[in-house]
Amino acid sequence: FYVKASYKEKRLEARLSLLQSAVDEYSKAKNEFAAKATEEEMRLLRFQRRLEEDKGEHLMGMSLQDSMQILLSVGLHKQAEQLYKDFRVPDKRYWWLKLTALADKEDWEELEKF
Amino acid sequence: MAAHLSYGRVNLNILREAARKDLREFLDKCAGSKAIVWDEYLTGPFGLIAQYSLLKEHEVEKMFTLKSGRLPPADVKNIIFFVRPRLELMDIIAENILSEDKLQTPREFNILFVPRRSMLCEQRLKEQGVLGSFTNIDEYILDLIPYDGDLLSMESESAFRECYLENDQTSLYHTAKGLMTLQALYGTIPQIFGKGECARHVANMMLRMKREFAGSQTQILPVFDTLLLLDRNVDLLTPLATQLTYEGLIDEIYGITNGYVKLPPEKFAQKKQGEGGKDLPTEPKKMPLNSAEELYAEIRDKNFNAVGAALSKKAKIISAAFEERHNAKTVGEIKQFVSQLPHMQAARTSLANHTSIAELIKDITTSEAFFDNLTVEQEFMTGVDTDKVNTYIEDCIAQKDPLLKILRLVCMQSVCNNGLKQKVLDFYKREILQTYGYEHLLTLNNLEKVGLLKSQITTRNNYPTIRKTLKLWMEDANEQNPNDISYVYSGYAPLSVRLTQLLARPGWRSIEEVLKLLPGPHFEERQQLPPGLHKKRQQGENRTTLVFFLGGVTYAEIAALRFLSQMEDSGTEYIIATTKLINGTSWVKSLMDRPDQQV
Repeated sequence: FYVKASYKEKRLEARLSLLQSAVDEYSKAKNEFAAKATEEEMRLLRFQRRLEEDKGEHLMGMSLQDSMQILLSVGLHKQAEQLYKDFRVPDKRYWWLKLTALADKEDWEELEKF
Repeated sequence: MAAHLSYGRVNLNILREAARKDLREFLDKCAGSKAIVWDEYLTGPFGLIAQYSLLKEHEVEKMFTLKSGRLPPADVKNIIFFVRPRLELMDIIAENILSEDKLQTPREFNILFVPRRSMLCEQRLKEQGVLGSFTNIDEYILDLIPYDGDLLSMESESAFRECYLENDQTSLYHTAKGLMTLQALYGTIPQIFGKGECARHVANMMLRMKREFAGSQTQILPVFDTLLLLDRNVDLLTPLATQLTYEGLIDEIYGITNGYVKLPPEKFAQKKQGEGGKDLPTEPKKMPLNSAEELYAEIRDKNFNAVGAALSKKAKIISAAFEERHNAKTVGEIKQFVSQLPHMQAARTSLANHTSIAELIKDITTSEAFFDNLTVEQEFMTGVDTDKVNTYIEDCIAQKDPLLKILRLVCMQSVCNNGLKQKVLDFYKREILQTYGYEHLLTLNNLEKVGLLKSQITTRNNYPTIRKTLKLWMEDANEQNPNDISYVYSGYAPLSVRLTQLLARPGWRSIEEVLKLLPGPHFEERQQLPPGLHKKRQQGENRTTLVFFLGGVTYAEIAALRFLSQMEDSGTEYIIATTKLINGTSWVKSLMDRPDQQV
């Protein structure tokens, strides 16, 4: 159950495998929520790595919300949209985010479209 | 300088003097000049016991903070480490000593553990091969530190976390020990009441220690009539609510540590002509806050809405006093006026300071965000819509407001609803994790473990019952001239203080039913007094109760207890003791797990 403490310290691949063992422990402990959340975390990490390789944006270790914000502010709308769908982000929160991110950038055109 | 400690009903200066005496004895044990290496955390609490001047009298020449690497050079005979018994600190000390030896003249090393020496730490020093380098290893028993005329604290930050999350009862042992010290100085406390698991433990330990010392009875007339031990988890709600007394708000907004507050300097810049704007102080202004300051003692516990009026009244009195000089005719009168000047000057400065602070706070309390937050809190406390996802919290998360604020609100909703529906709870948790990062999963787990967050298992919500029977919500709280303790939260009467009030009158027997709804056992113990020490109570004399909060107390609760002491017909005066002075933010923070910070 307490593998969770260790998984913070290691990096990258090691981190993913540690997370996987955390998931296993959580399921054993019948803590469904935590297991699912940790799985989600792994998914996000993989996504972030892919993006880092493709676009050179540094996202590793950021929260989902922050990742989406960065994506929006550098104009990678498609990727942000994908996160929004993949992680079933509530509409309300995503709209708030999109509004503020676009307004900060003063990207009124994109805002119109939306 | 410590005069304010002796004004109260119980002279707490005795305790402070005893602590100072112990310290002096230890310092004298190490002959010759010395340098103290401080565990940084301890400097604050120590400042309340002994100023630098006292240390200097005992040949303390240098002071350093403990850090790894080599010790700074100092031409002294003794090095004394003042540390908490923590393993990671032992490693640092070992490193200090090992990098030392090759240098010039050998120095003597001493360790003073606060508040207890620990086998584990000594073992660690031995492993590192440095245990033999110490001339003296000693403990300095510092459990309860007097903060004010009626307030004692152990300032042990993690006490709540240790007791309720990690099941570590060390701090309970310290508490029991501290209470024994107190009884040695102020006489045996005849009656002990308590509510909660930890309270039970502390009482058991006290009674056991008492038996061990049987025979060495103290022949002191008891000062305290009753001791009330309260677990923090009996009342989880109160610290979550925003405190609305003057002192409480200062703590909520700026944070009070060890009786000092740090304020933004802009408001206090000295406006001197000629050098205006040249050197504005950039350091935050540090101000002591205690009842030694006459004005502060008067307004600290008022509801903030009543502070403005009190300040302006005071301003009028002071300017009237200054006006009096025109009426002074004879030399005698003038002389008398001049002799009062320093006092009046001080009063004027303190008035100016507090007016500035009040202005700073007012800027915040009148803001929309503060008001919205308060509205939601009050809705929860009155039981409005506590079973659904709250839109305000949702919006706050979407805007990424400080996580601590969110956690406070969510926990509050959970406590007021006796747990949240699984669906609602999962929604909040998901929102928090996605917005603030998955690492907070650990924090959420902690909160669930101590009962601040939970999913509703039974369909019955007993919070409304508790609220009604104990009258926790008063519709018409009078903020200006309070007639009930609910003024400290503008409507909500702290559960903990209500329990204290009911204990004094009419007694807990009348609320058995409700007590059963709250966690932990409630109990009553009596301690035998040696014959001849039974206090003969004079007519109209008040009883004195020591209320001990295990796991922390807020300034608003203290204010409420002071208010009870002052009520004419209450018949009881309260002295407050706690493991730590807290507010909702610092409290929730102590429960957080931040792996990134440990690295």
